Parts: sequence; C-alpha cells; structure tokens
Amino acid sequence: MDEEPERAKRWEGGYERTWEVLKEDESGSLKATVEDILFQAKRKRVFESHGQVRLGMMRHLYVVIDSSRTMEDQDLKPNRLTSTLKLMEFFVEEYFDQNPIIGNVLLFEINTFFYICFDAGNPKKHVAALKKAVGSTCLGEPSLYNALNIAMQTLKHMPGHTSREILIIFSSLTTCDPANIYELIKTLKELKIRVSVIGLSAEVRVCTILTRETGGSYNVILDESHFKELLMLHVKPPPASSSSECSLIRMGFPQHIIASVSDQDAKPSFSMSHLESVDEGPGLTLGGYYCPQCRAKYTELPVECKVCGLTLVSAPHLARSFHHLFPLDAFQESPLEEHTGDRFCQACQGELKDKSVFTCPACSSVFCTECDLFIHDTLHCCPACIHTQGAS
Amino acid sequence: MASEDEVSLLVIVVDVNPIWWGQQAQREPEFNLSKCLDAVMVMANSHLVMTRTNKLAIIASHCQESHFLYPNKHWKAGDVAGDEVSSGSGDGKYELLSVANDLVAEEIRNLMARTQVKGHQTDTLLAGSLAKALCYIHRVSKELEAGQDMKSRILVVKAAEDCALQYMNFMNVIFAAQKQNILIDACVLDSDSGLLQQACDITGGLYLKIPQKTALAQYLLWVFLPDADQRSQLVLPPSVHVDYRAACFCHRNLIEIGYVCSVCLSIFCNFSPICTTCETAFKIPLPQMMKPKKKKLKTAN
Repeated sequence: MDEEPERAKRWEGGYERTWEVLKEDESGSLKATVEDILFQAKRKRVFESHGQVRLGMMRHLYVVIDSSRTMEDQDLKPNRLTSTLKLMEFFVEEYFDQNPIIGNVLLFEINTFFYICFDAGNPKKHVAALKKAVGSTCLGEPSLYNALNIAMQTLKHMPGHTSREILIIFSSLTTCDPANIYELIKTLKELKIRVSVIGLSAEVRVCTILTRETGGSYNVILDESHFKELLMLHVKPPPASSSSECSLIRMGFPQHIIASVSDQDAKPSFSMSHLESVDEGPGLTLGGYYCPQCRAKYTELPVECKVCGLTLVSAPHLARSFHHLFPLDAFQESPLEEHTGDRFCQACQGELKDKSVFTCPACSSVFCTECDLFIHDTLHCCPACIHTQGAS
Repeated sequence: MASEDEVSLLVIVVDVNPIWWGQQAQREPEFNLSKCLDAVMVMANSHLVMTRTNKLAIIASHCQESHFLYPNKHWKAGDVAGDEVSSGSGDGKYELLSVANDLVAEEIRNLMARTQVKGHQTDTLLAGSLAKALCYIHRVSKELEAGQDMKSRILVVKAAEDCALQYMNFMNVIFAAQKQNILIDACVLDSDSGLLQQACDITGGLYLKIPQKTALAQYLLWVFLPDADQRSQLVLPPSVHVDYRAACFCHRNLIEIGYVCSVCLSIFCNFSPICTTCETAFKIPLPQMMKPKKKKLKTAN
C-alpha cells in the first residue's frame, strides 16, 4: 500500500522568513503592503474549473462527526464539538443550495452511535437536529471501523449513478477497532465509496491511507476559518469516477395548486410528509403539490413520494445545478494602467479604483475586483456576455 | 418610521424595446413610451420622498444594451447639474427630484436616438439588465457606512414577450437575487411572462399583469411602492399560479413525468438509449430473467 512517495513534512523544509514579506516604502508606512495583502486575500480562492470533466451531480453524502473525549478540547471555542456543529449548520445550508436534488446528508456521531438526522431532503430538519445535539457529552474512544461499517451498510444500497461519499470529522489520534480496518478499506474501494477526512488534531496515518485508497481528500485544520474553508470544498460536486453508471432517472414535475378558502372545491387535506413527523402540528393545508403518478399531496419539494416512490422535483431545482455544468471562465487580470478605455466597471457602473481590472475573455468587458468576485461566486454568468449572446 | 440606519434601494428596470413600443403606438396611441416613463418617474419620485435615506436607480433595457438612466456614471455627487439646464427649479420642487427627472428624460432621448435595431435582435435583454442591477446593488451595499442596513428590491416593468434563449441566464440571476435576499417585483403590461412569474415566486416579490395600461401610475403607487415590511399589512393582489413543469428537451412540451440524465440533467419525455446533450450511453433496464423452474413431467403410463 505504500507505493506513493510521501510528501515532505513541513519541518523538513527550510525556514520561511515571514518578516521579509512586509516592505516599507520611502516614508516608512506599510500601507501599500497591507493593501496588497488584503487584495490577495480577496483573490485567494483559486478558480479551479474542472472544464469538461463529468461531475457527480446526484450525491449521497454521509457525514460522521467524532464525539469522543477529545472533542471536549477547547482549542476551538467554546469546545470542538459546539464549533463543529455550528459549522455543520452552515455547511448543510450551502450544500442544499448547491446540490438541490436528492442531496442526502445523513449525520451520525461516531462512538455514541446515534443518528443525528436521518435522510431528510430539506435542510431545516438537519439544522434543527444539529441544534439539539449541541449539549451532548463526549466520552470514550472513537472507532473508525464501526463508523465506516454502519455508513457502508446504508450507502451500498444506493443506486449506481449517484456518487457515494463519506465525510468524517475526526478529532482523536487513535481509533479502537474490532477488526482489521484494511479489509474494510478494500471493501469500500470495491463499492466505490469515496471517503474524505477532516482532521482536527494532527495527521493520522490510517486516515491518510483510507483517503488515498478510496480517492477522497484528507486535510487537517489550522484554525476555525480554515475549517470552514475545508468544509466548503465539499459542497461542490466532485468529479465523477469513470466507473459510475449513468442512467436516466424517472422524475415527476408536479403542479403547484394554490387554493383559497373561497374556492368551492377546495378541501383541506394532509400532506404525506406530515403523517410521520410528530412535532410539526396537524398540517392541514388547502393547496400543495400533487404527485403526477399517485396524486399524493406534499407541501414542499424536492421530495420522494412515499406512496409510489417517484422523485418529485421542480424545474428550478434542476436549474440550480446548471452552473456546475457550464462553469464561468476565470477573468484575465491586468493592471489598471494598461487599461485604455472607459474608467468605469461595466457591471456596477462604479469607478475603477483597484490596481487591477478583470477582463472577460469572451466579450472583452472590464470589471472591478468586487464585481469579479460577485460574478464568480454568486451570479455565475457574465452580465456583458448575456448582451451579446441574448441577441443571437 | 425607518431610522437613519435603514437604507432602502429601489432599482427600476424598464423595458424600452423599440419594436414593441412602436407597435403599441399604433395600437393605442394614448399610451406610449413617454407616458409610461412619466408613470415610472412618479413612482421613482415618490420612493425618494418617502424617506431621506432612500436610494434609486433606473435601468433601461433595450434590445442591444442595458443603460443606466439614473444615476449617471459621469455625474459625480457634488456636481449638481453644472452649467446646463434649469437647475434651480423655479417651482420649489425638491432639487434631487428635478435633477433626476431631467437626467432620465435626457438619457432616454439619447438612448433611443443612438441605437439602431438590427434585423434579428428583437428581444429585450432582460436577464442582462437584471445582472447589472444585481452588481450595482452589490456595489452600493459595500459602500455603506458602518452600522447601516440595506434592503433592496428590483421592479421590472415589462412590455415585450419573453425570450426563451435567456432561460439559463435568467435562472442564474434569480438564484443570485434569492441568495442576496433581493425581491424581484414584476409589473407586466401586455402578455404574461412565465420567467418573471418564477422570479417573483422564488424571490418573494409581487407579480401583476395590469388590466389597463393608462392607469399604470396608479398600479405602481398602490401595489409596488410599499416595501417588503409593510406588504404584510396591506391587501395586495393574490399570488398567481406558477407553472413549474419542465419542458422536455426533445419536443419542448411541458411534461409532468420525465426522465433526467444523471450526468447533464437534461430532461426527456421518453426513454432513449443515448442522451442527446452529453452523448452518454445509458443502461437499459431489462426485466429480470427468471430461470424457468424445471417441472418434473409426470409421464402418464
């Protein structure tokens, strides 16, 4: 298993002279350097576009949170468990925003073996369950083997065209396994389950081997903001492995029926998803979404019909994922002095004041730094390109 | 009333498609583009007068470009109308309003005069205007002073029909607006627009198709002037039934049950062995082959 050469460890490299980064100008002020550092921080995210790589759009993600003794450590304030749960709430919201179809996130704590939240299609249940789990005590030793085993039992029944992933937040340095974990790693590899680990303490060799064999990523956090960044890396759909099957999935697109009290035919009825949940109240509503196959009623989409098993989505849910399939190219950066045209950003009409401007390669329009970040993070389409494309 | 810390930004996107307005001038001469802009200016002035901290932007959406009618990028804040035009308005009107009105009138005249419609470009570039509006809102929100809160909304006054080619860009813009908590309201003059209905539904805005175009100012003031907090206390037109069914990629029919490719998310109405968009071959689900049970034949003796 040791064919890959190990990366050089940080202490094996030379010293980094961080004090040399700061340079003073003639009057002794550090203003230019500080502005430069702020500018670089804004641009820190590397726009890795995978180009024409096929992405695993339908994902089943299993998140395992360590709840052993080491999670009571206070190096992340107030303690590691609370900090992790808070960041998980944020992660769940972002995940359902970017992966709206069938994104299952199943949360699960390692050694206490209870599901925090099982298989909900919408983020609210997850967030509520996470909030409830905040006060739980952390005892004992974690067991990677048991956690992976339980996750595998559920994931192996998922259909082949979805990407099966496990994300483990691992804080301890030891693991207490009942059997040989390398055998389990082989089984995971055959089932094409991708395991990624975020370590909270230090690099653990068994995690390195686990992630390397299954094709996931292993990172150890530096501080809380780094933790958040690492979590966000898992929100985007990963490149699909070549062996995942592609199939046509049958889905239903129900109509939204709105009825008001004054309608003669409107009758209040229960939604199928409320029948099982205890704490949501009686839930009688007049309108809703009716499954096209069996006419069962639901109040929210996306959902899997409990009666006939058809996945129900609405067209905007699919449209939310389109920007992964057609990613926007990164804009070219050029210094402000070389720019000869108008001194105004073409998106926000503001003056170009930063030291570099960004040009879209397709339509050659010029944008300021803020607009560039906004366009790539949130908007996912170039405002000027729409003007030239829309006409053709 | 709103305190000094609450800034409310209204961006009005007006559809100035010259082809539609030209035809409109022949259909109904009493309602033309200048009357429409008058009504919009009344609403804009009212918005500015409601609270001192309210801000405004107006974008004209043409077939070839989206132009900011107000504020003008060449006009810096301290530069109140310089040496041209009757700046000190003789009738005692609030100066900001008179400057805004004159600016908008001049800009729209310049815009309509200088653009020439080329043959096939007849659709309004609404998605582009909305994208620019979002970037503008984003910039203004970054320029606020510390402690100031901003609520923004976009009002679209739409005249011409939808352009189906803009669907994907439109959806991107709508999701971006929803993420930034920006409402999109729509005031439709002529034919119903499915895209705008979806936009209003997803972002939480209001959609209204006006029964009488000449009463545009009334509708704008009654329905679209109050901001989001006040709308819960008013009786407003009910929400419309939005058709969220998807259109299949092969025939463009609206379907209720369809097949979705797991790779590229294209929607088909019938099962086909190859996806036409991404050319992936699919596994055809065959029925399970049952081994026939060997029956022991009783030989009749």
